[in-house]
Amino acid sequence: MTGLRILEISNLTKSYGAVKAVNDVSIHIDRGEIAGLIGPNGSGKSTFFDCSTGLGRPDSGTVKLDGQDITGWSLNRIAREGRMLRSFQKTVVFKSLDIEENLIIAGQMFTFPSLFSTFGLGRLSRDRVSALRDRARELIKMAGLWDVRHQRAGNLSGGQQKLIQFASMLMPEPKLILLDEPMAGINPKIIERVVDTILYANKSLGVSFLIIEHNIDVVTSICQRVIVLDQGQKLVEGLPQDIINDQRVREAYLGG
Amino acid sequence: MFSTILEQIINGVVTGSVYAIVAVGMTMIFGVLRAINFAHGEYYMLGTFGSWFAIDYLGLSYEASIVVGVLSTIVVAYVVGRLVMQRMVGAPAESGVLATLGIALVLQNTVILVFGGGYKFFSGGYIEPVSILGFSLAQQRIIILIVCLLVFVGLELMVTYSRMGKSMRAVSQNVECCEVVGIDVPQVVLRTFILGAALAALSGVLTAPVNVSVYGGMGELITFKTLPIIIMGGLGNVRGTFFAAMILGIAESLVATYVGLQFRDTVGFATLILMLMWRPHGLFSTQARF
Amino acid sequence: MSLTEVSQTQQSRDLRLPFGLVLLALALCAPLLASTYVVHALIIALIFMLPAHGLNLLVGYTGLLSLAQAAFFGIGAYASGLLAVTYGTPFYINVIASGLVAGALALPLGIPALRLRSTSFVMCTLGFVIIGQAIAKNWISLTRGDMGLSGIPKPHFALGPLSFTVSGTMAFYYLALAIGILATLAVWMIVRSPAGRNMIAIRENETLAESVGIPTWRYKLIVFMLSAAFAGVGGSLYAHYLTVVSPLTFQMYYSTTMLIIVLGGGAGTISGVVFGSLLFVGLTEALRVTPELRMIAYGLCLLVLVFWFKQGFAPVINRLWNFIGGAK
Repeated sequence: MTGLRILEISNLTKSYGAVKAVNDVSIHIDRGEIAGLIGPNGSGKSTFFDCSTGLGRPDSGTVKLDGQDITGWSLNRIAREGRMLRSFQKTVVFKSLDIEENLIIAGQMFTFPSLFSTFGLGRLSRDRVSALRDRARELIKMAGLWDVRHQRAGNLSGGQQKLIQFASMLMPEPKLILLDEPMAGINPKIIERVVDTILYANKSLGVSFLIIEHNIDVVTSICQRVIVLDQGQKLVEGLPQDIINDQRVREAYLGG
Repeated sequence: MFSTILEQIINGVVTGSVYAIVAVGMTMIFGVLRAINFAHGEYYMLGTFGSWFAIDYLGLSYEASIVVGVLSTIVVAYVVGRLVMQRMVGAPAESGVLATLGIALVLQNTVILVFGGGYKFFSGGYIEPVSILGFSLAQQRIIILIVCLLVFVGLELMVTYSRMGKSMRAVSQNVECCEVVGIDVPQVVLRTFILGAALAALSGVLTAPVNVSVYGGMGELITFKTLPIIIMGGLGNVRGTFFAAMILGIAESLVATYVGLQFRDTVGFATLILMLMWRPHGLFSTQARF
Repeated sequence: MSLTEVSQTQQSRDLRLPFGLVLLALALCAPLLASTYVVHALIIALIFMLPAHGLNLLVGYTGLLSLAQAAFFGIGAYASGLLAVTYGTPFYINVIASGLVAGALALPLGIPALRLRSTSFVMCTLGFVIIGQAIAKNWISLTRGDMGLSGIPKPHFALGPLSFTVSGTMAFYYLALAIGILATLAVWMIVRSPAGRNMIAIRENETLAESVGIPTWRYKLIVFMLSAAFAGVGGSLYAHYLTVVSPLTFQMYYSTTMLIIVLGGGAGTISGVVFGSLLFVGLTEALRVTPELRMIAYGLCLLVLVFWFKQGFAPVINRLWNFIGGAK
């Protein structure tokens, strides 16, 4: 039954000129699962991610989100209609706005039914924004950013911006979040918080995750299943412990 | 009938040569700075004014006035280059548009303020026609053709073999690498800019005898024709710009004769708009190919 | 942007409301206090403020540099002129129609134009102005070419037994002021709405905006159309004030002026546009600065703005306003 699978990607292929960055890769994510995607540099993880989330078009293959075919949908449509969100490797925030505004924006398109409704200033619109603001404040407190909530996001540290990015993705009620190397370049203290946030979102909010990550400790501690890509193709998938000990995986990382 | 069309085409090629000399400078500047020089036509105008001033006020010969025109523009370009263009290295595209727009306003209106806004008569040059292959062509037009060929051959040689040319290619491809390798990027930018401005001035001085009238606002028109050329030719692409300039020159000539003179000046931008809407990535490659 | 909260103790020193009222009073009394020529300058400033507000939505809030404002300004002027001269329609119909026509034309123009990268987009918008002028010059049967349309009647309002013709500079000033205030209010409402937030998001980081579900391309198109509508209304007012329309209404110089107003006053701020119109247009018009000197000043301003004062006068206005509000 497809009801179990929140994301089903079949035979995805993407070439850049003569190079097949992603070669006939098929993966699936079950509802409520936290899955990891690992592989040496150049294995096609980022390209795969981008093609699945609307930042690039796959040459062939299909992407189905909760049973719906979203192949070729734009990034904003996948987010808004599909409720599949993705993060970026380089932490980005809306620099000149404060944290609260950043989060409100992150939730707006999910509360307002149409583009035209966002131009409204009436009671309905104000109530919606008010609700968003309350939710934003909740998330800010949870992330421990309450004291700096009125500062320009651009003035905050990398780790704080990362937390803002996370909080942004929890503003709507997403079905699935794709994280692109979330632990890259942040200190262990913040890594803890990020891990806690992921686990919280998964257990309490029912959000499924697909995470590209290089940090093996994190992968083994939170991922229930790990998929390995190498040179554009799926090498193997399975439980974290099995994957780490798999000979082929070791060769891919060391040999490449 | 055929000979008339041929005549128009030859005229078009001459016009195209004028545009080509100006446009190649603008496209090279884009290559190294990634900025569209909105003021480029003003250097054409400055060259023309410098030459006109030399003839009318200093009593110099046409040949000498060419030197005066180009040199005076080089001086202005040096000042503008040092004060403004060099600062634009690494700046976002919008800064380039606004800054060069500002320069254009200042240059154009200073000239009008100093010399007055009226049309001036350019008295130099060789406008006597000669007969070539049954066509009567003003000598000056032949000079323009020859100079255009010389310029482009010279540029090809310079870009391929000279150190400056290699530096220009390097900067146009990857600015960060250049700084690591030790190329003085601001210097390359300045030199390319001065070269481009000087070429525009040269074109102005050579064309003045044919156009006869000189006025402060003439640069703007040239800018509006050169912009479509460099975009259609591929920003930074010297050869593409040459062909685009020729095509525009011929198209203008044909339109002026067979459709109506009043439409001539719109051909460039109209074609550009159509092209942008239909083929947003240009007719030729946009790689900075020198 | 979140507002700075003014604490209780500072409220007694908060002079912003009285100050604002004084400004409003000055604006209302201007014709009585100043010479006719100054009032004329204010009218011109108010007329140019309208397309500048539109441009601010594009540049300041959505991050899209466009030179097309002059094109829609011209379209609005011609629309009004044609309606008034051909059908004798009253002013209020003309002004609304001009806004609608300009906004509507922005749709087929914007759709292909917005597919372009920023440099090509700027060129394309410039092209609209140039083509606009060419059409105005050459479609003689419609626009009477270089001769233009003349004899556009003064605005005339009739309500039952009451009728009122706006003749004379003073009367036109109040008309322009009223429209100016309405326009400023409209921009303020757009900016304060959730859509306004989305626009800022698009300006800050388009991909990030996309990733949170914002349909960036559609917003850009809508803002392009809104900004054209503002320019169209400005053009209409211009036509009725000058009573003539000619191809010269389509000038790049107007686009440059509007750009200076927005960038000099402070892109992304509403007070900046108001201030910018008064300073760059009103002042230069009132001082009867020669066109060449004005353009040189504009040129130098652009250079200064690009390299040193990227935010224009906005920070100064902000600080002044906060100071009046009692902040230290």
